[in-house]
Amino acid sequence: MTMTATIGHAHADPHHIGIVVEHPGPASKRIVTAYGFWVFLLSDIVMFSCFFAAYAVLVGQTADGPKGSEIFEHRNVAIETVLLLLSSFTCGMASIAADVRNRFWFYLGMAVTCVLGLAFLTIEFREFANLVSRGYGPSRSAFLTAFFSLVGCHGLHVSAGVLWLLTMMAQVFAKGFRADILRRMMCFALFWHALDIIWVAVFSVVYLLGSAV
Amino acid sequence: MLGKLDWSAIPFDQPIPLVAGAMVLVAILGVLAWVVVKGHLPYLWHEWITSVDHKRIGVMYVLLASVMFLRGGSDAIMMRIQQSVAYQSQGYLPPEHYNQIFSAHGTIMIFFVAMPFVIGLMNLVVPLQLGVRDVAFPTLNSVGFWLTATGALLVNISLVVGEFARTGWLAFPPLSGLTYSPGVGVDYYAWSLQISGVGTLVAGINLVTTVLKLRTKGMNYLRMPMFCWTTLASNLLIVAAFPILTATLAMLLLDRYLGFHFFTNEAGGNVMMFMNLIWAWGHPEVYILVLPAFGIFSEVVSTFSGKPLFGYRSMVLATMAICVISFMVWLHHFFTMGAGPDVNAIFGIASMIIAVPTGVKIYNWLFTMYGGRIRFTTPMLWSVGFMVTFITGGLTGVLVAVPPADFLLHNSLFLVAHFHHVIIGGVLFGAFAGFTYWFPKAFGFRLEEAWGKAAFWFTFIGFYVTFLPLYTAGLLGMTRRLQHYDVAAWRPWMHVAAIGMGLLCVAVVCQITQLVVSIRNREALRDRTGDPWDGRSLEWATSSPPPVFNFAFHPDVRGEDAYWAMKQHAKEQQLEHHPEPEYEDIEMPRNSPTGFVCAFFASVMGFALIWHIWWMVILGVLGAFATFVVFAWRDHDEYVIPAAEVARIDRVNVEERRSLVSMAGGV
Amino acid sequence: MSDQAHVPTGHDLAPGEEEQHSVGERILGYVVGLVLALLLTATSFFIAGTDLVWQPSIPVALIVLAIAQMGVHLVFFLHITTGPDNTNNVLALAFGLLIVFLVVGGTVWIMSHLNQNMPPMDQFIRMHS
Ligand code: HEM
Ligand SMILES: [Cu+2]
Repeated sequence: MTMTATIGHAHADPHHIGIVVEHPGPASKRIVTAYGFWVFLLSDIVMFSCFFAAYAVLVGQTADGPKGSEIFEHRNVAIETVLLLLSSFTCGMASIAADVRNRFWFYLGMAVTCVLGLAFLTIEFREFANLVSRGYGPSRSAFLTAFFSLVGCHGLHVSAGVLWLLTMMAQVFAKGFRADILRRMMCFALFWHALDIIWVAVFSVVYLLGSAV
Repeated sequence: MLGKLDWSAIPFDQPIPLVAGAMVLVAILGVLAWVVVKGHLPYLWHEWITSVDHKRIGVMYVLLASVMFLRGGSDAIMMRIQQSVAYQSQGYLPPEHYNQIFSAHGTIMIFFVAMPFVIGLMNLVVPLQLGVRDVAFPTLNSVGFWLTATGALLVNISLVVGEFARTGWLAFPPLSGLTYSPGVGVDYYAWSLQISGVGTLVAGINLVTTVLKLRTKGMNYLRMPMFCWTTLASNLLIVAAFPILTATLAMLLLDRYLGFHFFTNEAGGNVMMFMNLIWAWGHPEVYILVLPAFGIFSEVVSTFSGKPLFGYRSMVLATMAICVISFMVWLHHFFTMGAGPDVNAIFGIASMIIAVPTGVKIYNWLFTMYGGRIRFTTPMLWSVGFMVTFITGGLTGVLVAVPPADFLLHNSLFLVAHFHHVIIGGVLFGAFAGFTYWFPKAFGFRLEEAWGKAAFWFTFIGFYVTFLPLYTAGLLGMTRRLQHYDVAAWRPWMHVAAIGMGLLCVAVVCQITQLVVSIRNREALRDRTGDPWDGRSLEWATSSPPPVFNFAFHPDVRGEDAYWAMKQHAKEQQLEHHPEPEYEDIEMPRNSPTGFVCAFFASVMGFALIWHIWWMVILGVLGAFATFVVFAWRDHDEYVIPAAEVARIDRVNVEERRSLVSMAGGV
Repeated sequence: MSDQAHVPTGHDLAPGEEEQHSVGERILGYVVGLVLALLLTATSFFIAGTDLVWQPSIPVALIVLAIAQMGVHLVFFLHITTGPDNTNNVLALAFGLLIVFLVVGGTVWIMSHLNQNMPPMDQFIRMHS
């Protein structure tokens, strides 16, 4: 469906703007797919923003339960952050490998990304399990409700990302670097990097600022 | 094994839903049996259910909306009758049933009538107007449609299995919390909206990408037909607002299912945060609905006035301004909730500001008509009716946007009259205008004008007879959602409103008759040229109905009103003989059952979640995931239409068109 | 209409896609991004835990650092630039950010005012007992 650009039709400026840039026609599939996914990511970020807003509203409502400063462990959060950052990097390496169709580095990059993601999820899960076992589960207070939902929502996204990552590897294994698979890989990379951006907001707002409340 | 589900879920003691449900079931089974016996099943499956053709999907959206319109309309009839008889008595609907009816009515009308209707029209028309062969994501488009249908299905299942919400169409807590709504009603409500919400989001992403990235050669932004602009704005709003709905309902569900405390009165939860969040979606939502309607009126008014749209650029600007400002006014839905005067004042002023771009649009339509040769066809009647109705509806909107006035009018029938005024006069009139305007494009024959005009007049008059009394009753202090009342002064107004409802029913009968009569007379009404209205934009440049690939060649656009310019050009050079162009193979996306199968699993999952049948939930999720993996695995996602076939199809159309031009040129 | 200038177009990049670079340059981009992000992260955690800086400035500093880090991610990992081939991507991003800002800012503003005028039940009871 790609069209080559044709330029220049003289009578195309009804409002006398002076410059007429002729639209070249439908964009390539690669651009269309990635752009659609980009729009999806923005909508996902709006979804997150509601949970952030809820957290901001409810952070003080501890109902005589624990405050943020009493339950957050900054060391763990720092480790989680580094894990996700490194995974963003390795994900970038995997996308470069996919672009140059190098299977070895692609698998390696994806596998490391997967391991880092799983390590992140393990730490988060242990944090949650630990809180629940101390009686500080999400039903304890509105603050904990907001905390578990926001951080858990990010965790669910990471889990979905890991699942997607594995099917991406399987697809490359079974079908090779086909054009449609490369497009999906591009979307996956966008997804993974976006999750990292959301995590920056999570650790800053929830853990660091949240400890101050 | 089956969670909370057992025989007590079927309301054997309530004849109305049971009989209604049985009738619907019989109707569905009857249609199914007819389809199977007549051997239409393979056709349906291959040509419609698995279709990824945007035109087919658009038609299915509109069909869904029309069927659900009958359901929502039945609810409306029942409520109007109840309120006209329930003076100092219980009427014929017990409170818990009445409450379900008004909740279902609102939910259905917004989510399963208005939304699918406008999304269907956008799907059908926008790729044609942009001069391209399909939307950006054809298979996802089908997924989106079927998920919307899933939501509608779940709402209707609630009629016979369990109950629907009794909370109104926005399910405010604490009423919608577990304490006060322990049944499955709110769960039906929330899960069907979650699932159809995903479908709507998919449709939104798809259409935004289509408009921004798939335009034919030379279709610069400022040459797009107005409907494409309003589609862009409306779908940007979908993409930005529907995630808010998803998040809010997710919070409500977490409260209900896992004992969270977002909106509870205990443990520090905040009920008012629900109003805040839901309206942050809710106000943009009303513009999601009405912007496409604005686009339809722009197309219709310009076509039937035979003039380019007046003030095209100001119209674009107004559309985009509405798109952004509609995100800054949501508090006007809860002025009375206790925010201080400063907050109320700012949101009140912002709300009034929205009326400015809307006013710009009205003037543009009026000036487009001014000095034009107006043809009062059915779509044009709907448009003029809209202008009259929407101005008054908008004025009452500005009235309730004044906080002190709203303290009196909030939650009264005055408010009910306001939003029906803008939604019926704006969205529904727009949908009907678009329906009659583009029907020939979709099916290849026009609708019978006489019945269309009758439908318009009955709707127009019926609307005023039904809703003007509600303003008065509201000013007399009648609050909304009353199952019965004791104030004598309200009673006559309720009677008048019921009569109006009768007129509206006649209008619906006219619409159905129009459809039946037109299908019967379709040969006489056939549109052979593809341009029945002397149109101006590219959808009229192809045959009716268009071939799967829409255009044999991507049209080359040189200015606004692309097709009009082409026609002028062709008339000027009518004697020149054009050599036949070189036809090429065309690749089109292959049909896929992904959408349907995915929606099947979504229905299973939704139903299981409502009834706490956990194993079935897992089954549904796994099924949906597996469907996507299978889809990702397929090797051929496109098929080729050979050049010879393209040529054969296109030549027929070119012939018809040539005769049209030579006839018009001869005048 | 001789004052028209025709500009050739057709150059458009997908979000996340880079201009043509060699593999080495691309890897370098990610390395720079990683290092910057790690530095900013470290600063955030340091500031949050220290009493070496004026305490009331900490929240502001944390927010600024977070925004800076998001910017780093956008530029080095998502390859968002200000170039004309990225206009559509940036506009979509700007629209999304505007909505995020309106939703979060609006909610916090509205809810804090509601709480001022109509405190939640437990505060209400405390106030009146
Ligand atoms: C000039 C433009 C408009 C203004 C200033 C306006 C203002 C308002 C205000 C202030 C309310 C809340 C009143 C109350 O709850 O007491 C309201 C309710 C409503 N409006 Fe409008 N409105 C406008 C246009 C529209 C349009 C175009 C639509 C739909 C297409 C619409 C649909 C609704 C709905 C559905 C509700 C109430 C929903 C409910 O409470 O259940 N409005 N409007
Ligand atoms: Cu509103």
